[in-house]
Amino acid sequence: MATDRQQDAGTVQDGSMQVVMIGLGDEKFALDAGLVREIIDPVPATKVAGARSFVPSVINVRGNVIPLADLRIRFGMPQTEDSADTRIVVIEVGIDNEPVLVGLTADKVYEVTEISRTDVQQTPRVGMHWKPEFIRFITKWREEFVIVPNMERILN
Amino acid sequence: MSSMDPTEIFRQEASELFETLEGALLDLGLRPDDRELVDSAFRALHTIKGSGAMFGFDRVAAFTHEFETAFELVRKGEIKPTHELIAVALAAKDYIRALIEAPDDADQIIGDAILDDLKRFVSPVGQDLLVEPDVDGPPVSESRPAGWQLRLEFESHILRNGSNPLDLLDDLCKLGPCFVVPVTDGVPLLDELEPEDCYLKWDVTLHSGCDKAAIDDVFMFVQDEMKLTLVPLAQIERAAPALALPVVEAEPAAPPAPAPAAAPVPVAAESALPPERKREEPKRAEERGIATVRVQAERLDELMDRVGELVIAQARLSQLAAAGSDLSIKMIAEEIERLAASLRDTTMGARMVPIGSLFGRFRRLVHDLSRDLGKPVEFVTSGEDTELDKTMIECLADPLVHLIRNAIDHGIEDSETRASAGKTEQGRIELQAIHSGAQVLVTVRDNGGGLNTARIRAKAEEQGLIAPGTAMSDHEIHQFLFHPGFSTAQTISALSGRGVGMDVVKRTIENMRGSIDLSTKAGAGTCITLRLPLTLAIIEGLLIRVGEGRYIIPLPAVEECVELTAEEERSRGRNFLNVRGNLVPFLRLRDILDVRGTPGQHQKTIIISTGETRVGLVADQIIGNHQTVIKSLSKLHSDVTIFSGATILGDGTAALILDVAQLVALAQSRAEKQQMSEAA
Repeated sequence: MATDRQQDAGTVQDGSMQVVMIGLGDEKFALDAGLVREIIDPVPATKVAGARSFVPSVINVRGNVIPLADLRIRFGMPQTEDSADTRIVVIEVGIDNEPVLVGLTADKVYEVTEISRTDVQQTPRVGMHWKPEFIRFITKWREEFVIVPNMERILN
Repeated sequence: MSSMDPTEIFRQEASELFETLEGALLDLGLRPDDRELVDSAFRALHTIKGSGAMFGFDRVAAFTHEFETAFELVRKGEIKPTHELIAVALAAKDYIRALIEAPDDADQIIGDAILDDLKRFVSPVGQDLLVEPDVDGPPVSESRPAGWQLRLEFESHILRNGSNPLDLLDDLCKLGPCFVVPVTDGVPLLDELEPEDCYLKWDVTLHSGCDKAAIDDVFMFVQDEMKLTLVPLAQIERAAPALALPVVEAEPAAPPAPAPAAAPVPVAAESALPPERKREEPKRAEERGIATVRVQAERLDELMDRVGELVIAQARLSQLAAAGSDLSIKMIAEEIERLAASLRDTTMGARMVPIGSLFGRFRRLVHDLSRDLGKPVEFVTSGEDTELDKTMIECLADPLVHLIRNAIDHGIEDSETRASAGKTEQGRIELQAIHSGAQVLVTVRDNGGGLNTARIRAKAEEQGLIAPGTAMSDHEIHQFLFHPGFSTAQTISALSGRGVGMDVVKRTIENMRGSIDLSTKAGAGTCITLRLPLTLAIIEGLLIRVGEGRYIIPLPAVEECVELTAEEERSRGRNFLNVRGNLVPFLRLRDILDVRGTPGQHQKTIIISTGETRVGLVADQIIGNHQTVIKSLSKLHSDVTIFSGATILGDGTAALILDVAQLVALAQSRAEKQQMSEAA
C-alpha cells in the first residue's frame, strides 16, 4: 500500500514524474524526486560489522547517523572505486511503516528531470540480471532505457 | 502553550491531586490520628471539586461533593479512619478519576454504590450527611464549641487582588449570628493613607455550632493573604492542660511565607504523634515551596538533541584547536568546552525527576495486593529523591510493578509459613533507590522465602533448556527466570505465574542500557537490583581502536584495562585471561568486528562487567575518554546486535557503540562451548 502512495506522490496527472537521474556502473536509474532529501559529496563511512552486505556502513549527515546502502551490491553489479563524480543521495523511505533516512552511493548524478509514463516499457521477464520485484518500471530517457527502482522492496 | 486545552490542564492538575489524595489516604491507614493528613486529603478533594465545576465536569463536582460530605465526620475527628473506610475512599478516588478521564464509561451506579458504602462506614445516621453543609451548617452536636471568637487581619494589598473583606464577613454571617467589630488601630493619618490599601481588622464573635473547617472554607481563597486567629468561645470537650486557650492559626496552604513553626492542630493529638512524622513535615513543606514551570517533554527532548549536536561540534572545535598553534583559538575552544559541559549537565538536570513520583504509585499496588492475597505486607521505600531521566522513570513503571507483584505473590509466604519459620507475621518489601557513580540502583527486596534454586533447575531441565546434570552455579540457574515463558509457579493466579514478565523486565531494562542483578537466600528473601544509567542521551565512553575502526565502550561498564601478555596473545585456543588469579573469558574484537590483517604488538584488554560477570575485550589501542552523544541505529541495522548505537567523533565520522550486555553474553556462551568441548 505504501508503495502505491509514493507512486502517486511522484506522479502528476498527465502521467509525468519528477525524477533524479543517477548512474550506477553502466546503468542509469531514475529515483522518484519525492524521495530524495539531499545530494552530498562522499563522506568517510563507518563499517558496521555483521550488517547485511547492501547496507555495509553508516555515515554522519549533519549530526544524524544514517545507513549507507550500496545498490550495486543489491543488483549484483561490480563495485568501482570512488571517482570525482561519486555522490551520496540521501533518500527517505518507509521501512516497517516508519520513515528512515538512507544514503545511496551513486557513481554519478546527472540531473533532475521529468519522465513520462507514456514511455513506460514492460519489465522483461528474461534477459535481466536483477530481480524483477526490485523494479517499479522501465522507461526511456534520451533514447536510453532507465530503471525506476522500487526502493522500499530493495531496502526491506 | 497558550493553545493548550483548558480541560487538558485540568486533567493534568487533577492527576497530581489524585496522587496527593491517594498518598494521604494510604498514610492515613498507617497513622489514623494524623489530622494533617485528613486536611491534606480534604484540600485535594476540595480543589478537584472546585476546578471540576469550573471546567464543566459537573458529575465530578457533584460526586466529589458527596464524597466530601460523607467524609466530613472524619475530618471533624468524630470517626477514626478505619481500613475499610480507606478502602472505600480509594475506590471513590478511582471513580472520580474515571469520571474525569473517561466520563462516558463511568457508571453512575458504581458511584452511588461507593457513596452508600461511604455513608455506611462514616455514619450510623446516614441521613444527616445528605444535608448541604454550607446552607445552615451541619447539625450541632454537643461536642462542639458554642461559637468562635475570630480576629481577621488581612494583608494591606488584599483589595488590589479583587477580594472584598466585607463579602467575606457576609459569608461568615451565613454560618450563624455574628457580632462584628472593626479594629481601627492600624488606620494611618490621612496624608499617609494609601487609598488602595486595607487598614482595617475585624473582631468577630460568631455564635454558631459550625466547626473550624466551615470557617476556613469561607477564607479559603484568601488564606495566604491574611492572618486568621480562631478561639473557641467555650471549651466543652477539650481539656486543655495549660491555662491558655489553644490558639489555632490558619496556615497558608503553600507556605513560602516564613510562618512560625507549624502547630496547626490542638495540643492533645499532637503529643501522641510518632516522632518521625514531625521530621518529615518540614521537608514536604519545602518541596511544595519550590517554584516549577510546566514544560512539554518534547521540548526538553529537542533541547537535549540540540545540546548533543553542540557537544559534537565542540569536540570537533577542540580537536582543531589542539592541532593548530593559535593560542587564542585554544583559549576559546577551552571556554566553549567548559560552557558546553555545563550546558549539558543543566539540560540533563532539567530532564531529571525524583523517582519518588513513581514509588508513590506502588503503595497502592502493595496495599491492594496485600489485601487480595491475605498477606499482610509492610512496604518501605527509601531514596525517593534520587533523580533519574524522565523517560527512564516512565519505562521503569512496568518492570517495577512486575517485580513487586512477584515479591508479594511468590516471595512473601503466607502467615502460617512465616510463623512456623519464626518470622514476623507481616512480610516486608523494600523499594530503594540510590546513586552509585554514574548509575542509579533500584532495589526491590523482600523478606520472603527466597528463590527455590532446585525447582528452577528442575523446570529448566524439564523445558529442555539445559541437559540434566550440567554443572551450573546458582547464579547461572537463576538466569533462567529471565527466559521467555519460564515460570515455576505451580498455580497460575490472576497476578503472576504465567511466565511472561521477567523476560520482559529484563528486556526493558536492557533497552535502557541497564542490567539486573539477582541475589537470594533461602528462607531470608530475594533482592533484585536494577542498575540504570543516569540518562539515555549522553554517556561517558571509552574510545578504542580496532583495526582502522574506532569504537566506544560505555565507561560505566569498564572495570580496568590491562595489557595482553605475549603468552595470552599466542594462545589461540584458550580464550581466558588470568586477572589476579581469576579466570576471565575474553573476546578478540578483531574477530568479532571482522578485521583482517595481523594485530599490532601491544594489544590491550579492556575488562568490562555486567553485574557479577566479567569479560575481557581485546583491542588494538585505547584512545581515551569520549563524551558520547548516543544516536540510535536505523531499522536497516536492527539485525546487528553487538552495537547499541552510534555516535559522532570529533572529526565528524560516525563511531559505533559496543553493546556490553550482548558481548558479555557472547563471550560466556563461547566460553561454555569451549569448556564443554574440552570436557568431551
